[in-house]
Amino acid sequence: MSTKRLAATAVVSASVLVLSACGSGGPGGGGGDFSDGKVVLAVLNDQSGVYKDLSGPNSVKAVEMAVADFQEKYGEEAVVDEIEVVAADHQNKPDIANTKAQELYDREGADIILDVPTSSAALAVATQAKEKKKLFIDIGAGTTELTNGQCNKYTFHWAYDTYQLAQTTGTAVTEGGGKEWQIIYPDYAFGQDMDKSFTRAVEEAGGTVGDHIATPFPNDNFTTFLTKAASAEPDVIGTMQAGGDLINLVKQYNEGGYAADGIELAVGLMFITDIHSLGVEAFEGVQFAEAWYWNHDDENRAWADRFLEETGTRPSFAHAANYSAALQYLEAVQAEGTDDADTIVGNFEGKEINDVFLKNGTIRAEDHRVIHDVYLAKVKSPDQVTEDWDYEEIVSTIPAEEAFMPLDQSACSMGG
Amino acid sequence: MNEILQYTVQGLAAGSFYALAALGLAIIFGVLGVVNFAHGACYMLGAFAAAVLMDLVGLNFWLALIVVPVLMFFFGVLLERLLVSRLTALDPLYNFLLTFGLSLLLVDLVKREYGVSGQPYTRPEILGGQLTLGALRLPTYQVFVLVFSLLVCLGVWLLMTRTRIGMIVRASTEKSELTRALGIDVNRWVTPVFGFGIALAGLAGVLAAPFRAITADMGSSFIIILFAVVVIGGLGSIVGAVVAGFLVGLVEAFGQAYAPTLSQIVIFVLMAVVILIRPAGLFGREENA
Amino acid sequence: MLEVRGLEAFYGDAQALHGVDLVVREGEVVTLVGRNGAGKTTLLRCLMGLHRDVRGSVTLDGTEITGLGPHQRARRGLGWVQDDRGIYASLSVEENLTLPPVTHPDGAWSLAQVYDAFPVLADRRRAPGTTLSGGEQQMLALARVLRTGARVLLLDEPSEGLAPVIVQRIRDIVQQVKANGTTVLLVEQNVRFASSVADRHYVLAEGHVAADLDNEEFTRRQDELLAYLGM
Ligand SMILES: Nc1ncnc2c1ncn2[C@@H]1O[C@H](COP(=O)(O)OP(=O)(O)OP(=O)(O)O)[C@@H](O)[C@H]1O
Ligand SMILES: [Mg+2]
Repeated sequence: MSTKRLAATAVVSASVLVLSACGSGGPGGGGGDFSDGKVVLAVLNDQSGVYKDLSGPNSVKAVEMAVADFQEKYGEEAVVDEIEVVAADHQNKPDIANTKAQELYDREGADIILDVPTSSAALAVATQAKEKKKLFIDIGAGTTELTNGQCNKYTFHWAYDTYQLAQTTGTAVTEGGGKEWQIIYPDYAFGQDMDKSFTRAVEEAGGTVGDHIATPFPNDNFTTFLTKAASAEPDVIGTMQAGGDLINLVKQYNEGGYAADGIELAVGLMFITDIHSLGVEAFEGVQFAEAWYWNHDDENRAWADRFLEETGTRPSFAHAANYSAALQYLEAVQAEGTDDADTIVGNFEGKEINDVFLKNGTIRAEDHRVIHDVYLAKVKSPDQVTEDWDYEEIVSTIPAEEAFMPLDQSACSMGG
Repeated sequence: MNEILQYTVQGLAAGSFYALAALGLAIIFGVLGVVNFAHGACYMLGAFAAAVLMDLVGLNFWLALIVVPVLMFFFGVLLERLLVSRLTALDPLYNFLLTFGLSLLLVDLVKREYGVSGQPYTRPEILGGQLTLGALRLPTYQVFVLVFSLLVCLGVWLLMTRTRIGMIVRASTEKSELTRALGIDVNRWVTPVFGFGIALAGLAGVLAAPFRAITADMGSSFIIILFAVVVIGGLGSIVGAVVAGFLVGLVEAFGQAYAPTLSQIVIFVLMAVVILIRPAGLFGREENA
Repeated sequence: MLEVRGLEAFYGDAQALHGVDLVVREGEVVTLVGRNGAGKTTLLRCLMGLHRDVRGSVTLDGTEITGLGPHQRARRGLGWVQDDRGIYASLSVEENLTLPPVTHPDGAWSLAQVYDAFPVLADRRRAPGTTLSGGEQQMLALARVLRTGARVLLLDEPSEGLAPVIVQRIRDIVQQVKANGTTVLLVEQNVRFASSVADRHYVLAEGHVAADLDNEEFTRRQDELLAYLGM
């Protein structure tokens, strides 16, 4: 524990970075419109645990890149001189996330909290945002609750959610011929949610789901679960496992030789960092939903090159989304001339955005779900890989309106 | 029928990891009286060592099966000399706390160095694919793990029952004081025995590398099951550790097949039942309990 | 040969031995009698170096052995048979016999000699040690130290709970051992047995030596002693 805390403290102190515009005494920005006379962006995420590589410290870097880009773009014109980026580690625990969020809003003077992976932690922070009337843009968590039953005025959901994962992978794989499914899912809130979303998507696309096999979490041995799923001779085994559990399952799926029997593996939630850690061989041919891919087009690639220079690694969707959220927030601040949360919410609602992360993006006013084009990706075979992190082939693009939960299904009411 | 056979082999293969690691845990507990909480972390280090050495110097799986346990042996020797030995005179709780702290430290150091996403590992081509026996089809690697660990267990059993070293280990496991009073310098065996136990955990880690996620946390839930295994088998009992290891693997597999969400709870239910009926464990002696 | 001076032993706050002084000369058989809880077992454990919390000095052949560990004392010729016999369940009868290293080859019994003297051990050599009967286990425990060639035997109530024929057998062994010149310190509650084998006797009471008697006086005051010991 102590090293973990030490590391976290180090990261936090190292990244309390004060960036000042060169020009002293900026022109009539009207300092009175800014709390503490500055804008503070806080990244609250997993700095040491399972989501460290996916987002973690490099998302702080991404936010710093957004600040630098903003200052370069507006220079003397910027409405605020001092922009601070702070970071904190929530260790994926809702109680820690809750206290850290309070600390960030109250003591560090954070105007906005970004990222917050792990659904339970994200919901805890959303509650704080609502109470403190400060902004929260979630990127790392997948629960649809943020923009559904538990939505609130100050919370936005920027990148992906379980509905969209199922809509992408479940629909596309079923339409591609994988009609009969078996679903293996970890038996906790996220897994159950994913199981339901996938079942709905598969059935709507004309497929059927046989067994829903719940597994303990965490778990390192899936051999029997796989045997059981395969015994029904399905077209597809859908797994909702994540992180280390997903790696365990995929390794054991490969050893079991199920692919040769024509049983495909569809993965509910998978990140480029998973492929990177295990190598493309292990995941070859696996289809999954991707919110953004660094090598998809020239714009993405140019940004990914800059990111590589900053961090020594290629960005995941979460890094790009953190950059995008921070940049769009600063743009709103610039447009409104204030960091007042209610004013920024007004600026955001209904706004259409195209940036490096958001393609055909819209911030829905009704539920604060940010919809944008997403992708069905397929893991390349080793001989297709031409450089480091070149792991994905984009099979299809799912337009923003089709990928996310339609408003008529949403239970969100902002008043509540 | 076919499936039941398949579950059986899968259970025994999963049990192989438990048996090997629990064997090391039992030997260490027997001779040192130390409940080594860092055993799961050593299993993790074994897998990491295999992956990292493959990446750095191209060490293949077969060599890793030899090289990594040897490295882990020396790691264990170092731990025992530098840390564990300083606390053996005190209440066993101190060493439990020491190894508990050590496991957190090792896991965090690995995270710091290698992150959390896990390491890639390629197993030899020959261990890929499936073996078919009539209607039964089994992954080659699982069969290999099972056979290999049975051989290792057999080897350790022969070492324990057929050699003077084994006799001394058994004697000091059972009655440490008397063994000293009979003229045997038990302390001289303590360090190598600790190293040997750690080497077995490392070996289990190497075997896990091709088949399981190599992450810093891979030992964290493993060690919990391992404790259940040694309690079921009887603390310090060598045969007990092996039998209980395979038994727990089987219980887990059939639990997964017929009561998926309960598959880990079943293990602890089994542990509770064993403690109620035979407090010293299946192969434990009352005086050790 | 064996000399104990001012030996004190503690169990936490409780003191079990309050300055014990005694001497066992070479070739002597000396018994230690005393009520339950007098500290006899504690004294033998202290002599073997098994008790941590001790003060005082123990010398063997004039050399201080106070600081030595149990195995070093065994190697210098102390052979201990503990009160519960200390037979290993996880070792076969033969392994029980061959576990301790031979420390003094000239006085040591060979395995053949042991089997000759105790045929039952030969018959059961492959069986786990604790499957033997109580009497057989006592034979095994004795045979085990005899095989090492120990020069001073520390026997803790070898006759306890055994049938008269077996007690007789143990007496024979002690006499045979004595004839070979081995020194014996024998803890014994059985006064008759004690007087039949020993040269001298120490009466231990509440952690110190209450009396040092030669065998003649011991035999004379036998009834008094029996009453004292509560038998
Ligand atoms: N482990 C222990 N912890 C605390 N006190 C102890 C311990 N062992 C012995 N004692 C105490 O030390 C004293 C001496 O005990 P010891 O066993 O040496 O007596 P003994 O003369 O051998 O008795 P017995 O004839 O019953 O064998 C007793 O008062 C006993 O209660
Ligand atoms: Mg006694």
